[in-house]
Amino acid sequence: MKNNLKISSAITLVFSIGLSAAQSSEFPFDVPNMIEQSEQAGITHTYSGPWEYFVGGGAASFDCNGDRMPDLFLSGGKGKAKLFVNTSSAGGNLSFAEKALDIGRSNLKVLGAYPINIDNDAYTDLVLLRLGANQILKGGPDCSFTKANKEFAIKGGREWSTGFAAIWEGDNALPTMAIGNYVDRDAPGTPWGTCSPNMLLRPNADGTYSEPLALEPGYCSLSMLFTDWNKSGEPDLRITNDRQYYRGGQEQLWQITPGETPRAYTQNDGWETLQIWGMGIAEADLNGDGYPEYALTSMGDTKIQSLDEESDEESPIYRDIAYESGATAHRPYTGDDLKPSTGWHSQFIDFNNDTHKDLYIAKGNVEAMTDFASYDPDNMLLGGIDNKFTEKGDEAGIALNSAGRGAVIEDFNADGMLDMLVVNRKTNVNLFINEGAKTSWGHRPMGNWIKIELDNGDINKDAVGAKISVKTGNLTQNKTVQIGGGHASGQLGFNHFGLGVAERATIRVQWPNGDWSHPYKVFANNHVIIQRDSPSANYWYPAED
Amino acid sequence: MRTSLILVGLVCLSATHSFADNTLPWAEKTDAIGRITQMPIGFLGREELDVLVQAGEELFEAKFKKSEGAGRPMATAAILPTKARRLSKTAFARTSGPDAASCGACHNEPLLGGAGDFVTNVFVSEGFTNADFDSINPQFSNERGTNHLFGAGLIELLAREITTDLHDIRRNALKTARSEQKPTRVELTSKGISYGFITALPDGVLQLGEIDGIDTDLVVRPFSQKGVMTSLRQFTVNASNHHHGMQATERFGARWTGESDFDEDGMTEELSSADVSALVAWQATLRPPIVAKPDNAEWQAAAEKGKQVFDQIGCAQCHMPALPLNSLQFDDPGLFDVAGTLQTYQVEAPATYDLAMLEWAEALPRNDDGQVMVPLFGDLKRHTMTDSEVDAFGNELMSQRFVDRNIFITAELWGVASTAPYGHRNDMYDLTEVISAHGGDARASRDAYLALDEVLQQQLIAFLRTLEIK
Repeated sequence: MKNNLKISSAITLVFSIGLSAAQSSEFPFDVPNMIEQSEQAGITHTYSGPWEYFVGGGAASFDCNGDRMPDLFLSGGKGKAKLFVNTSSAGGNLSFAEKALDIGRSNLKVLGAYPINIDNDAYTDLVLLRLGANQILKGGPDCSFTKANKEFAIKGGREWSTGFAAIWEGDNALPTMAIGNYVDRDAPGTPWGTCSPNMLLRPNADGTYSEPLALEPGYCSLSMLFTDWNKSGEPDLRITNDRQYYRGGQEQLWQITPGETPRAYTQNDGWETLQIWGMGIAEADLNGDGYPEYALTSMGDTKIQSLDEESDEESPIYRDIAYESGATAHRPYTGDDLKPSTGWHSQFIDFNNDTHKDLYIAKGNVEAMTDFASYDPDNMLLGGIDNKFTEKGDEAGIALNSAGRGAVIEDFNADGMLDMLVVNRKTNVNLFINEGAKTSWGHRPMGNWIKIELDNGDINKDAVGAKISVKTGNLTQNKTVQIGGGHASGQLGFNHFGLGVAERATIRVQWPNGDWSHPYKVFANNHVIIQRDSPSANYWYPAED
Repeated sequence: MRTSLILVGLVCLSATHSFADNTLPWAEKTDAIGRITQMPIGFLGREELDVLVQAGEELFEAKFKKSEGAGRPMATAAILPTKARRLSKTAFARTSGPDAASCGACHNEPLLGGAGDFVTNVFVSEGFTNADFDSINPQFSNERGTNHLFGAGLIELLAREITTDLHDIRRNALKTARSEQKPTRVELTSKGISYGFITALPDGVLQLGEIDGIDTDLVVRPFSQKGVMTSLRQFTVNASNHHHGMQATERFGARWTGESDFDEDGMTEELSSADVSALVAWQATLRPPIVAKPDNAEWQAAAEKGKQVFDQIGCAQCHMPALPLNSLQFDDPGLFDVAGTLQTYQVEAPATYDLAMLEWAEALPRNDDGQVMVPLFGDLKRHTMTDSEVDAFGNELMSQRFVDRNIFITAELWGVASTAPYGHRNDMYDLTEVISAHGGDARASRDAYLALDEVLQQQLIAFLRTLEIK
C-alpha cells in the first residue's frame, strides 16, 4: 500500500528490479523486444530494381505445406521472388528453408503477393502483382505452385500492379478480385497524370472469370481493401492513391453491390476529397463500435480515419484522428533527420498482447528524395488506454536503417507473440522474432493471447469477410478476415488477438453470409479452430521437436 | 536453482517512535503489508519460509484499512480489472463487495484459515455485466459458502501433478497421431481419475468433445466450490480485490491497466507481489485436516465400520480417500497460471519450499512407492450434481467461468466434521441432509445411502464426523 503522494524511491526501486524492468513511467505496458535474425533464420532476400520498383516490395505469409506454420513468399522486384518454408520449432528461434519455385519467369518483376484460396481446394493459391502480366499461382501439395491464369480465364494484363483485394460476393463460389494499378507507362506524358484504371474481376458460374471491369478513373493505387465500412454486410472497395502522379485525383471508395456495376462514392455522398501519397491501408475497429477505422500511410503524416458523427450508412464521412491518437508518425522518432517520413505498409495488430491495438508502419525513403528523411525507422506505435498510441520502435529494436516497404506480422514460431518480416528496398529483409518483454534477468511473456482459424466449409474456406468477435469481461475485440490492404503484402491463417490478463474468452463469428455462430468458449493461449456449425471449438498444437 | 535471495526488511518496533513517521504503537495499520520487500526466489530454507509464512498469517488476519488501500470505489469485484459504472456510495456491500475487512473474517471455523458459517457466504459474480454487479440485488450472483483452506498446498500440488500428467498424455497423443498419420484417441487419466478422452488428429488438431470434468486446456483448477481457480495465488489475487478492495499489483497495476490506482481510492501498490507470495505461503503450508480417533469406544467402532460403508455404497468413487503425491516441493508462482497472476516464466525464478520441512508432513501416510497419500477425500474433478428428481444443488442462477450451474468440483471431505453447515450455499444443516441432496453423477451413492438401515447410516456419519480440522 502506498499513498499516491508518497511513493518512496526505495519502493520504486524494489518494484523496478522485480517486475517493471520493461516498463517506463510514461508507457506502463509491455514493450516487445524484437530481435532481428534473418540471417540466422536462413532468409537472404532483397527487393530491388529501377524506378518501377521504387514501390512494391510485398510479402505473403500463409501455410503452403499443411503444417499450419506460416511460410513466406517474398517479392524480388527485378530480382527473383522466393519462397521460404517455415522450419521453426514451436517457441524456438525462427528458421526457414528456401524452396525453389517452378514458375518460369513469373517469379521476376514481382512487386507484391497475396495468398488466397481461389478454387476452394485444400491448398492456398497466390496472386502475384507484377510489372506486366499478373500471375495466379495455384497451390498444390508440399508448397508446389502452378501457373493458373488460363485455368481461371484470367488475363494478367500489362499494367503496373501494386494493389490487391478480394471478397466472396453473394453466393459466388469464387472470389471477386480487385487489382490496383499504378502509373500507365505507355500513356502520353507519362508518368504525370497517367494512372491506369483499376480492375475488378468477377467470377462466372463455370469457375472462370469474366473480362475485367475497369474501375475508372484510376488514381495510381498503391493499396486497396474490401471493407464493410457501414456494417451493411456488403463490403465496398477502399483504395488509397499516390498523389505523386495523379492529376485531380483523390482517395476512393467504390460501392460494390453484387451483380451491379461499381459506383464511386462522391462528395454528394459525403465522401470528402483527400489527396495524399497513399501507400498502404490498415483496418481495425479501434473503439469497439463495430465500425472500422483506417490507417493510411503517406509521405509526411499518417492518417487515421474514423467515421464522423455526421455519417450514416450511405454517407461515408470520415474525420482524421491521427493527431489526437498520437499516431501521425510524420517524421523519424529517433536520429537527427527531421525531414518528413515516407510510410508504406501499415497494419493494426497487438504486438504485446495487452488487448490494445498497436500500429506498425514500414518506413523508407522512396529512393533518394532529399526532401524526405533518409534514415526513416519503422514505427511501432503501441496502443494504450483511450486509443492513444506511443512510439516504441526504438525500444523494441526495430529502428533499423533500412528502407521498408511491405511486411507481414505473424507468429512464425507459434508462441503467441507476433514476429515480423519486413521487405526492404535494396537491403536484406528484416526478420524479427518477438522475445517478449525484456527484463533485468531475461525475457518474460507478455499478455495472454488467442489465435483463431476459421473454416467456412466448402466455399470460401478461410471465411474471408467473416467478422470475429472476442469477448473478455466487458471488452469486445472485433476483427474482419480480409485479403488486401497493407503495402503489396497479405497473409492468411490464424487471426491473432491479445487477451491481456484474461484467462478465457468467448468467441462469436459472423460468417461471410451474415449468419452468427453461437458463442465458443475457449481458454487463453491456445490456437483455436472453429469449423462452421461445429458445436465446439477444437485446439491445434504445433509439432514439437 | 539458485539459493534464495529473499530480503526481509523486518519492521523493528523500537522505543523511539516518531509521531511524524506514522509508526505510533497504536497506529491503525497492518505491519505485515510491505514487510517482505522483494519477491522471494529460489529455494527457501525453513527459517526463510517461517518469516514468509508469519507475514502471510498476519496479512490473512489483518483488518485492512482504507489508508492501506482497502475499498475499491471505482472497480468491481470482477477477476478482470473492470471499472465500476459509478462511484460506490458504500465502503462495504454484502453482495457486490467489498464484504470483509480481512480474510480471517470468514475463514475462521474452527480456526483461522477454516470455513465459515452461513453468515459468511459470498456472492459470486463474473462482475462484468448484469449491472456490473454493482447492485446490492443478489439475483445477479451465486451465493456460496466459505471453504476451509487446510491442506490447500497439498491440493494445489496434486492438481499440478495431474495437470502435468494430462498435458503429457496430450503431447504423446499428438505425437503419435502425427507420426502414424491417423487419429489417436486416448483416455485422460492420472492418479486413478479419468477425465474422459481426447482425440488427436494427424494435423495437430485436438478434439475435445469427450473430456469430462475438466476445462479444455486440461488444467485442473482445484479451488472454489466450482473448481475454477488454478492456484492459491490466483485465488488470493481474486479474493483480495473482491472481498477487500485490496488490489494486487500483478493484475491491477499499471502494466495491465495503465493505471497505478485502478480502483481510484487514492492508493497505489496496495498488495505487492511479495505480499501475495506471503499470503500464498501461509495458505500453502496450512496443515491438512486429520482423521481423528474418537475417545468414545462406540464411536470409534462405528467410524471404522462407517469407512467400509463409505467405500461400499460408492462414495469413495468421487470422494477418493487419498491421492498419491510425488513431491512436496511447492513452487510459487506456479506453472499453470496465466498473465494476470504471476506465473513461473513471469519471474526470474519461483520461490521453492519443501512442505516436507514442516512438522505436520511427517504424519502424512506414504505408499510403497514413497508417494505421500494425501487424505483429501476428493477427486479434483467436476461432476453434474443434479438430475430431474434430485435437484437441490441446481439452485444457482448463473454459470461460472464456463461451468454450468449444476456442476461442481467434488468437495474434499477432509475437515468436514469441522465445517458445518454444508453444500455450496452452506444451507444444509447436517451431513444427512447434504448426502440426500446428491443427484446426477452421485445419485446412485445417495440412493444407496438412503436405502441403508439406520445403523449403517449412523456408522457412515460416525466416520465422517472423524474428519476434523485441528
